[in-house]
Amino acid sequence: MGKPTGFIEFTRELPGKKPVDERRNHYNEFVERYPEEKLTQQAARCMDCGVPFCHHGCPLGNVIPEFNDAVYRKDWKEAYEILDSTNNFPEFTGRICPAPCESSCVLGINQPPVAIEEIEKHIIEIAFEKGFVTPRKPNLRSGKKIAVIGSGPAGLAAAAQLNYAGHFVTVFERDDAPGGLLRYGIPDFKLEKWIIDRRISLMEEEGIVFKCHSNVGVNVHINDLLREFNAVVLTGGSTVPRNLEIPGR
Amino acid sequence: MAGNTGLYHPSYEHDSCGIGFIANIRGSKSHPIISDALTVLENMEHRGACGCENNTGDGAGIMIQMPHEFFFDECLKLGVHLPSYGKYGVGVIFFPKEIRLREECRDIFNRSAEKLGLEVLAYRKVPVNKDDIGYTALTVEPEMEQVFIACPDHISNPDDFERKLFVLRNYASHTIHETVKKDAIGFYIASLSYKVIVYKGQLTSLQVRRYFPDLSNKRVVSAFGLVHSRFATNTFPSWKLAQPFRFIAHNGEINTLQGNLNWLKTSEKCFTSPYFSKEEMEMLLPIVTEGQSDSACLDNMIELLTLTGRSIPHVMMMLIPEAWDDNTEMDPVKKAFYEFHSSFMEPWDGPASISFTDGKVIGATLDRNGLRPSRYCVTTDDRVIMASETGVLPVDPSIIKEKGRLQPGKMFIVDMEKGKIISDEELKKQICSQKPYGEWLNKYKIRLEELPEPRVMFTHLEHDQVFKYQKTFGYSTEDLDSIIAPMAIEGKEPVGSMGIDTPLAILSEQPQHLSSYFKQLFAQVTNPPIDPIRERLVMSLATFVGNNGNMLMEDPLTCHSVALKQPVLNNHDLEKIRSIDTGQFQAKTLQCYFRADGKPGSLKSALDRVCEYAVDAVEDGFKVLILQDRAIDSNHAPIPSLLATSAIHHHLIRKGMRGQVGLIVEAGDVWEVHHFACLIGFGATAINPYLALSTIRDMKETGRLQTEEHEDQLKKNYIKAVKDGLLKVFSKMGISTLQSYQGAQIFEILGLNKDVVNKYFSGTTSRIEGMGLDEIAKETLTKHFFSFSKKDIPVDRLPTGGVYQWKRKGEFHLFNPQTIHLLQDSTKRNDYSIFKKYSKLVNDQSEKACTLRSLFQFKSTRASIDINEVEPAENIYKRFATGAMSFGSISWEAHTTLAIAMNRIGAKSNTGEGGEDEKRYEPLANGDSMRSAIKQVASARFGVTSLYLTEADELQIKMAQGAKPGEGGQLPGHKVDDWIGRVRHATPGVGLISPPPHHDIYSIEDLAQLIFDLKNANRQARINVKLVSKAGVGTIAAGVTKAKADVVLISGHDGGTGASPISSIKHAGLPWELGLAETHQTLVKNKLRSRVVVQADGQMKTGRDIAIAALLGAEEWGVATAALIVEGCIMMRKCHLNTCPVGVATQDPELRKRFTGDPDHVVNFFHFIVQELREIMAELGFRTVNEMIGQVDNLRLRDNITHWKFNRLDLSPILYKEPASAYTGLYCSEEQDHGLSDVLDWKLLEAAKPAIDEKKNVIASFDIKNTDRTTGTILSNEITKKYKGNGLPDDTIHFNLTGTAGQSFGAFTTKGITLELEGDANDYFGKGLSGAKLIIYPPASALFVPEENSIIGNVAFYGATSGESFIRGKAGERFCVRNSGANVVVEGVGDHGCEYMTGGRTVILGDTGRNFAAGMSGGIAYVYDVKGKFAESCNTEMVDLDECDLADKNELFTMIQAHYGYTGSTVAKFILDDLDNQLKNFIKVFPKDYKKALKQTVLPKENVRR
Repeated sequence: MGKPTGFIEFTRELPGKKPVDERRNHYNEFVERYPEEKLTQQAARCMDCGVPFCHHGCPLGNVIPEFNDAVYRKDWKEAYEILDSTNNFPEFTGRICPAPCESSCVLGINQPPVAIEEIEKHIIEIAFEKGFVTPRKPNLRSGKKIAVIGSGPAGLAAAAQLNYAGHFVTVFERDDAPGGLLRYGIPDFKLEKWIIDRRISLMEEEGIVFKCHSNVGVNVHINDLLREFNAVVLTGGSTVPRNLEIPGR
Repeated sequence: MAGNTGLYHPSYEHDSCGIGFIANIRGSKSHPIISDALTVLENMEHRGACGCENNTGDGAGIMIQMPHEFFFDECLKLGVHLPSYGKYGVGVIFFPKEIRLREECRDIFNRSAEKLGLEVLAYRKVPVNKDDIGYTALTVEPEMEQVFIACPDHISNPDDFERKLFVLRNYASHTIHETVKKDAIGFYIASLSYKVIVYKGQLTSLQVRRYFPDLSNKRVVSAFGLVHSRFATNTFPSWKLAQPFRFIAHNGEINTLQGNLNWLKTSEKCFTSPYFSKEEMEMLLPIVTEGQSDSACLDNMIELLTLTGRSIPHVMMMLIPEAWDDNTEMDPVKKAFYEFHSSFMEPWDGPASISFTDGKVIGATLDRNGLRPSRYCVTTDDRVIMASETGVLPVDPSIIKEKGRLQPGKMFIVDMEKGKIISDEELKKQICSQKPYGEWLNKYKIRLEELPEPRVMFTHLEHDQVFKYQKTFGYSTEDLDSIIAPMAIEGKEPVGSMGIDTPLAILSEQPQHLSSYFKQLFAQVTNPPIDPIRERLVMSLATFVGNNGNMLMEDPLTCHSVALKQPVLNNHDLEKIRSIDTGQFQAKTLQCYFRADGKPGSLKSALDRVCEYAVDAVEDGFKVLILQDRAIDSNHAPIPSLLATSAIHHHLIRKGMRGQVGLIVEAGDVWEVHHFACLIGFGATAINPYLALSTIRDMKETGRLQTEEHEDQLKKNYIKAVKDGLLKVFSKMGISTLQSYQGAQIFEILGLNKDVVNKYFSGTTSRIEGMGLDEIAKETLTKHFFSFSKKDIPVDRLPTGGVYQWKRKGEFHLFNPQTIHLLQDSTKRNDYSIFKKYSKLVNDQSEKACTLRSLFQFKSTRASIDINEVEPAENIYKRFATGAMSFGSISWEAHTTLAIAMNRIGAKSNTGEGGEDEKRYEPLANGDSMRSAIKQVASARFGVTSLYLTEADELQIKMAQGAKPGEGGQLPGHKVDDWIGRVRHATPGVGLISPPPHHDIYSIEDLAQLIFDLKNANRQARINVKLVSKAGVGTIAAGVTKAKADVVLISGHDGGTGASPISSIKHAGLPWELGLAETHQTLVKNKLRSRVVVQADGQMKTGRDIAIAALLGAEEWGVATAALIVEGCIMMRKCHLNTCPVGVATQDPELRKRFTGDPDHVVNFFHFIVQELREIMAELGFRTVNEMIGQVDNLRLRDNITHWKFNRLDLSPILYKEPASAYTGLYCSEEQDHGLSDVLDWKLLEAAKPAIDEKKNVIASFDIKNTDRTTGTILSNEITKKYKGNGLPDDTIHFNLTGTAGQSFGAFTTKGITLELEGDANDYFGKGLSGAKLIIYPPASALFVPEENSIIGNVAFYGATSGESFIRGKAGERFCVRNSGANVVVEGVGDHGCEYMTGGRTVILGDTGRNFAAGMSGGIAYVYDVKGKFAESCNTEMVDLDECDLADKNELFTMIQAHYGYTGSTVAKFILDDLDNQLKNFIKVFPKDYKKALKQTVLPKENVRR
């Protein structure tokens, strides 16, 4: 797997950033992409550990050594499939996850850890560019209908998985567009909104229905939902920020 | 013999021995022959053994010709007039002691004789003298009587009479065993013949002469005496297991017995012979009865084949063939003989030296690998003396005509009727040309490559189908990427490291492959594994598919079957066989599926169906059955191919039909080497792994394989990897041919219940029950429904596996991110509360079971005590050792940190097999010491010098290693830097090979010899023998204890390793719980437990593990992986790649800097472990560790086990407490008597006193005989104690010895000693030579030509590190094996010369055997090749054959000059006188790597010169 001596030969490098002068003019993302050689070098630093602590550290259980190896081999499709097998939205996590995988990385014991999050982002963006990411519809529909309430990360993930399982899924969102925290809590320089739109339209093509301006309990009656759907999934987030209990606040 | 409530089973017993015979070539009978034969026996006392009492032997005996005059007189006394010689037969019968039983037996015997028309003339009580016979032997001593039976008048040919006696013996024995109530002794007929008679019993070899006064009667005469002295692994009384048997005396072991017996059983149904009527044949069967030793079974087989018309040498050639396959030099006539016979008879494979006789000819033969010593001498007074050792009978040197040794696969015969010795060549020429075997083969043998193209092409699988099948058959991405891909790309089995910490198959929640419940067995102590790479020439994968026929007759049609060169068929080959039709040979395909309804009984009815179909097909005349699992769908799941194959195999055996067909398996669930091995082991003849092959194609097409090679080549590579892997699996058990492995069932089953095993895997060991058929079906269906899911959730990836690496959704690992983190954190912070969190995670496996011990819980049998009442921790530390990890596999930093930590707490660290740097013997400034208390002696003997041995507190002989039992190892050149090279006495940059076997341990008596050697080399050190857990390890441990080991270590299968083939890590060996419990039970049963310390290791991680080990019987424990983790190891599992990122398992200087281990952390760890142990002791009420050893009633099965898979495991055999009297020791409480009190060395030491005290020169002379073993070793130890590695100045001590030296002459002798021996010597001459000079030449009065005769035995200079030797005569097999520094001159050597040599110079002034220089990576050999035939017999894989240059000439001149000077060799004189001319006859054998390494060190200098 990968290059056995990669971690000795290469050190950690992150992609470049757009010049400050340019950055001043907009709120968009400013981290650039690796050139291909740099990307595979960074993937080659993965040691394919016998006990991959990164894989343990990742809350999703991303199979990190495997996709690193696929990136090293420039097998973009394979890399995407591995990533996709544990992660519905790598384009989000690749940008905004605090990356506990990197703090668990074994190489990190005595060297800078593998740039896992960047690699993750590159895999999914390359997959979009190369057209690997296509809507996948279940072959057989179960006939069951499910309501998902809330379109934040949890709601979207639940919707995607239930849809793959063959159920008809409708997502209810009280705001004017789906995404929840992704859309309304994270600034553009971390996550531009077209990225969310790209995913939502894929999900729509896969058969998921999004109903915005639908505030369940307010303008959507709960009894209607219970009557109309076989199951209801509550995936609401919190609009109450967590206060920092320190003096002077 | 006791019942089998525990783990001990009588079938695990092994024996091994000394054998010999004396014969008069002209057949003239005399009493001295018998008397001399008994002397031979007495002089092999050290090759036998005694049990718990010194005067109870393991068995000894003698076979002689019928002493007619003596019996005539004796019978007159009984009032019977015996007819003339040949007209009566004599039987030696062991009757039960109890009168009623005895008379019942006698009555049946008499009636049986009557039934056959034979008249019983008389019974004579055999006079015996019971003085000084051991109590144990006497308790079961039989009543020995001789019966005299008249030959009926109508039988004129004595041989026909002999056949009648054979029928009588078998029939009477069978009838008595069936009808008479079984008693302790049983009825047994030692011999029944008109020609020969056997006197034997459970005696020591010294007791035979006294016990049987008949043998001292001058009127008892014979032309030969064949003797045998037995060394068994048990101490249980058994008189009938003594040898000789009726035709042979056997020193060796039949590794393939189960298979041989199965094949025999299935052929019995077709037996017909003109020599026996149908009725007689029925009376004869079964040929082999239960409860016999392997040697006894072989004897039965030889008897049958001899009495049905073949000559005895012919039979020996059938059963123990030479290595003929792939031997291009063999005479085609002989090759045809072997090939023809192999079409219906598989070799009875194993190390063997057999002396055999039919009463008229007497001879001996050796197995194909020459793994037993056999030396002979011929005298001018017409005697031949043949024995396991030379010097067993004192013979005046002036009457010796010839001294030789039996060579591998060779035979010689003394034809006493014709009055001559017949050589191997003459004998085999005559036998091989008696029938036109070659023509028969040409006419009937079916060659696969000549078969017509198949009628239909195979079904091609598209990508989606491949994927679907992969899911159905349980492939994981790990199987694809880590197993199949490397096999396809590199043609090799992948390598892994760090052992295994995943659940046993039966405890795993992941659906398992059925073969994961089958653990490969391996050779250990009682027989050696083989090196399938370096000794490839003895291995064979050839096989025949089809009908075996009636083996009792020579019928050309028996070879009308398909000859395969190897057993893995590609699709094209398979289709050819499926379409085959020769008019009398066709194949039938059977579909192996079962209904996927999940109902109980579905799998069973499917098996019944295929078995029935199989019988129908055989009855319909098909010669090949193809078992196919392609026809599956959502409602029909595949029967696991292993189950289907073995079920059909055993069903056909029971029906007596198995011999009539070949079984070919066409299966999707076969991809790893182990899968193939299991199928072959349970009866498959050939295998088509269609899905593995399709997977390779699919991976290539989808770009998953990073290679340019074509798909066909990749498949070839894969098949090659399987073939090499299979050879390794066979060789692990010491089996050399596929044919004998087939159906030999060399496995132990772990986790299938008795019903399944008895019916479908009959005869295989399975001790703890487990799944039934319905559970197997359930597990199979889990995979099936993953593929044919009723729900349509798209699953587009295979499961991850997670066996070789931890994966969240994969297999459970005990060392996982959480436990590793907690262990490191707790020991770094010295925080016991964190350690408790760690140990809770490891110990509490109630959710996920992983080990057998996880199913136990403690049970108090006494009141708890306060922890302060438990003995202090300081007392307990000394019971700990760290595992054997070599400096080389792990870094200097990691190795010394462990040593320092262990020395601080008074525990022991282990060198591993890589030697030890001398600077570690000096204490450090702060008082710490880096010296490892345990020095390992492993097969490669790296750095095993007199100093290394002297500097040890304990010497550990590594017989096997948990991660890869039965295999050798390899340290790649890039890991051998200057430092490691120096410590290992090797050239830096040159790869180092550890051979699979110790070349001085091919059997239990050899191990006893090595223990004796090491005890001589350091009398203060404990000798520890490391074994790996497997069924029968307890009996081996008992044998090891009888061989005088002080400590026996039982390792679990799961131990860590630097590098090992993945399949060995996972599929060989058993958990230590089983092996340890069996060992303790067996030692207690044998009353041997108090003589030996029992140690256990294998993934021990917590105080609870230690407590369980103590309760199961271990008073000392080893911890390795956990200690490494404390040092910073993070289970990278990349040890073999030298890229360990934390500096533990690497030699890369940069990576070594990243090492952060600290002795303090390791010390903390042991504090914690002992603290936890003491807590458990307090809870259970034990004040000391000794109190708790073997108190297994403090353990019980956890009561919350509900898992469907393992809730029916029966662990009671492990928890069985062997009853013992109050006086039987349950832990080591006495010292072994190593028998050093009267060795020759004390005299040598006395004479050498001035030299040792004052460095004065001393010269003295001594007589020596073969019972003087290990000469010069104590002397060297004393010199080394005083002068360390430097020894004394050359030739300070010069001893002249006269006579025959015993084994291990000059072992580990150090600098300053010269031993000059006039006479000859046995095996292991100059073993571990450490600087001394050994000179040997024949007696001046000898008549024979020295350079044409054998003077020393096998395996000389094994592991020699320095010194010189000059040998005037020939040496045996494996001369200079693993020599790494001695300079030696010899005048001829046997097979495998200079094997694995890494240093020194060897000059051979004569012939060499085959396979010279195999695995030789250093040093130089000069071979004087006048006949110009050397190149043919040299294995040039690793060496170049060069001409000698000027430097060589000088070197040769010096060495040959010295040889002439010391020995007066005329060969040396001739060469020296004509050196310039003779130089062209010398070939320089120059290892390629060594040459390269030399160039690299020389080149820089040359550059400077320029």
